[in-house]
Amino acid sequence: MEAKAKPLAKNPGLMSKSQKRARSLRENAPFLLMIFPAVLVVFLFNYLPIYGVLIAFQDFMPGDKILSSSTIWVGFENFRRFFSDPQFWPLMKNTFLICIYGFIIGFPLPIIISLMLNSLKGRKTAKYLQTIFTAPHFISLVVLVGMLTLFFGRYGLVNNVVAHMGGERYSYFLESSAFRPLYILSSNWQDFGWSAVIYIAALSNVDPQQHEAAILDGATRFQRVIHVDLPAIMPMISVMLIMSIGGLMDVGYEKALLMQTDGNLGVSELISTYVYKRGLTGVPDQAYATAIGLFNSVINVILLIIANTTSKRFSENSLW
Amino acid sequence: MSEVILKGLKKVYDNKVTAVHDVNLEIKDKEFIVLVGPSGCGKSTTLRMVAGLEEISDGELYIDGRLVNDVAPKDRDIAMVFQNYALYPHMTVYDNLAYALKLRKTPKAEIKKKVLEVAEILDITQYLERKPKALSGGQRQRVAIGRAMVRDPKVFLMDEPLSNLDAKLRNQMRAEIIKLRSRIDTTFMYVTHDQTEAMTLGDRIVIMKDGYVNQIGTPQEVFNRPVNLFVAGFIGMPVMNFFDNCRLIEEGGVFHAEIRGVRFKLSDFQQKALKQNGVKPCDIVCGIRPQHVTVGEGELKATIEVSEMMGSEYNLHARCEGDEVVKLIPTVDLATDVSMGRTVSFTT
Repeated sequence: MEAKAKPLAKNPGLMSKSQKRARSLRENAPFLLMIFPAVLVVFLFNYLPIYGVLIAFQDFMPGDKILSSSTIWVGFENFRRFFSDPQFWPLMKNTFLICIYGFIIGFPLPIIISLMLNSLKGRKTAKYLQTIFTAPHFISLVVLVGMLTLFFGRYGLVNNVVAHMGGERYSYFLESSAFRPLYILSSNWQDFGWSAVIYIAALSNVDPQQHEAAILDGATRFQRVIHVDLPAIMPMISVMLIMSIGGLMDVGYEKALLMQTDGNLGVSELISTYVYKRGLTGVPDQAYATAIGLFNSVINVILLIIANTTSKRFSENSLW
Repeated sequence: MSEVILKGLKKVYDNKVTAVHDVNLEIKDKEFIVLVGPSGCGKSTTLRMVAGLEEISDGELYIDGRLVNDVAPKDRDIAMVFQNYALYPHMTVYDNLAYALKLRKTPKAEIKKKVLEVAEILDITQYLERKPKALSGGQRQRVAIGRAMVRDPKVFLMDEPLSNLDAKLRNQMRAEIIKLRSRIDTTFMYVTHDQTEAMTLGDRIVIMKDGYVNQIGTPQEVFNRPVNLFVAGFIGMPVMNFFDNCRLIEEGGVFHAEIRGVRFKLSDFQQKALKQNGVKPCDIVCGIRPQHVTVGEGELKATIEVSEMMGSEYNLHARCEGDEVVKLIPTVDLATDVSMGRTVSFTT
């Protein structure tokens, strides 16, 4: 008579791989259920559309199916067209400059603000200021550009004050030289408070004993910021830096379009606005627009990899 | 001279909570004083007031004869060792040790000499180029102590410096602090909630509860002559056994304590103290140290509930007639069976 096989013990060491997996699934079911909506959203809106990238390699007309027997594959032809497009270098320059200037001002600003807010003695004052700084983040881009028009339009507040003082009115929205400062400063004004939140949260974890030890050492407030606060948020700064560099060339089209005029078109035409115009307006050339968008994404991925590798080598912080 | 005098020191927080009430303490030059008590008793607050990290609400604080209530922490000539080490994470051990001296604009050569000297004493010379995260808890604590030492402070403050270490390392570091103390001739104020640390380190112990100082005395004094039930129960391991509803009886000029109908003659010291204070027979609470309990004889009976083998001794948790739990420490050569559920007789 054959002996009946004994069931495996509940000891994880004696379980088979599939049993372990089933057990892990069972144990983590509530957490998996909680994360499911987020995964679904990411899949639907971030992963599924990647399928559409295929049209960058096709001679695609609106109404065509992405994959069918009549699909005409053109390889890198759309990319070649973009590289030989007279708009290529102006677009690259405009996008790069607006991103790099934005990054130079926008990256350190939240760090400085968070360190300053953290250094304030009055907790209430810090909270009020934080609320005031964060509030602009919730203003829609349309309203923001409306506000810019009210302030900087030909008959806006600034020009009225200048005219009142005997100066000449200046058309900020028609001048190329005013576009980048207006765009960058207003973007940073809108987002510096929001971006500072993550650093403020990291600073709240600094052990007060470190500050007290520094006080006893005789460190000034500024020296404490440099030697206690800054090192404490350095890992966060590294991660944010990598992510910022990874998204350096990723600039939205909405605000640039809203601020765009014939006068500033030479500097306000960015890759994203060009993609929008070529892909969705006039006679749409979606394959071409997709190729430009994909090219922009590839640059971002390369920047992300470079930033992550550099950070890994020189500090001990990296995304992967 | 680095005498520290606390005169009526008081700490009231903004929400009107009084954390420390009227602390009066004179710490002699080169004395090692330990503030001990349960969490929230005000010992750390008192230390922080001495350090200048907490504002003094009332009272006066003198260091080396100078009133320092309004003197900045860095100018009090003190150094402090914290529970969490509080080292600068981005600096090497050398820089951590040197930083306070750099801020004082000490010449580089002197800084180097001082740092190497302290590193030698603390046996951390081989770690000088490492960063704190590359050190173990014990090594970090040595660096924290070293950081305080390089400044040659008049007063050395320590706020639960061994609390983050495991039991073995804590014992080791405790011994090292005792050795260190003999090498650096200065005044120490040490805060702990661990009465063993207090007993082994302190020249005198300050026992605090609810913001009040309950007793100040040498380890022997607070162990043998506790001034109240709290001190009696707090000092000593295992804790003292208390018997409620006992009677103090006087017979022919001799005092006895009656516990559950059994009389015990009090010691000569107790007889003298009771007579001096003119105490009359009354209801009392009796406290007997576990070390003074003998198992295997006597009229009091108790049932053993838990028997803990501690190596060279047993901790017995027994239930007496009146429900009190009694802890006994018999030696390993104890003849009596100490298995659980067994009834034993004991005396004091």
